[in-house]
Amino acid sequence: MGKIFVWIDSRFEISTQHRRFFQRPVPPNLDYTYCFGGIAFTYFLILLFSGLLLSLYYVPSEREAYKSVLIITNEVPFGWVVRGMHKWSASLFIISIILHAIRVFVSKAYRHPRELNWMIGAATFITAMASGFTGYLLPWDQKAYWATEVGTSMVGTIPFIGESMMYAVRGGAEVSGTTLIRFFSLHVLYLPLFMGILLWFHFHMIKRQGISAKL
Amino acid sequence: MDRRDFLKKIIKAFFFSISFSLILILSYIYPSRIKQKKLSYIYLTEEEALHKSGIKRLEYKYNLHEKTIVSFVFLKKEGEELTAFSPLCTHLGCLLKWNNIEKEFVCVCHGGKFDMDGKVIAGPPPKPLERLPLSIRDGKVYIGIKLYG
Repeated sequence: MGKIFVWIDSRFEISTQHRRFFQRPVPPNLDYTYCFGGIAFTYFLILLFSGLLLSLYYVPSEREAYKSVLIITNEVPFGWVVRGMHKWSASLFIISIILHAIRVFVSKAYRHPRELNWMIGAATFITAMASGFTGYLLPWDQKAYWATEVGTSMVGTIPFIGESMMYAVRGGAEVSGTTLIRFFSLHVLYLPLFMGILLWFHFHMIKRQGISAKL
Repeated sequence: MDRRDFLKKIIKAFFFSISFSLILILSYIYPSRIKQKKLSYIYLTEEEALHKSGIKRLEYKYNLHEKTIVSFVFLKKEGEELTAFSPLCTHLGCLLKWNNIEKEFVCVCHGGKFDMDGKVIAGPPPKPLERLPLSIRDGKVYIGIKLYG
């Protein structure tokens, strides 16, 4: 590494502490199916970063949401790239999580002592789905509106408490500007924060327990 | 290629792709339209109409975004010298009125007062009145204001 890295590292002292990062024991003969977790995390980072860029131009208001999405797509330089990255990474993120879960299930990596990590992983999957659902409303076009209308109606089918839960999710009787702001807040504040905490747990346990050996 | 070389290559590739995307990101962040106001001269009055000395309130019209906007300035004539004052109070931008008896500009919002030369004589305004540029061509007086355009 260069002089600059040495200068920083003699003060920040990252290499001594994290030498273990490169010297962690890995079981032999792992194949590429073990990469899906890492791929999913890469998509998460892409989503996080492209989302930060989109938030510079997106306006979460009933009147301007759709217009601001049009501006991002058509007028902002490389806006269509950033939006496309966010959209496609979202789908591929979910797919990678499913493939990762299948690999863990097939290789029986969920067994003791990794049961808790499976549960955290399941919670991460639910959070990812919730992010996908709330993000779907944000373009505020016909498809987004009716998808949310249908999705939030499903909440209403829960016995006894369903109707009040639906109103709480929508922020009113119908999908409206209030729903948009709610979903925006969930999509950019609550869910990413929660996801970050869950991923920290997930990776902490992977570091302590190591990757499970092949069957 | 051993592991050390592989890691070095990966890290280099990472930094190259980061610096490449940085160009795209900067062009994404940089505003695509930066409009600045430009000084443009608008017809105010005929020079012959200004025969009396003193303060005169003059209206002018101009087009902005396909709408006609009517505004006004205070024109001071002292001998042959013409001065144009912006009608905005330098305190918070209320429109001023000219009191011809007391010979002062009065701001109704917070009681700011200016004399004939635009100097503050009472109230909270921190600065004297803004003077606007004038241009006289072929006996016609033009007022210079800053517009988007």
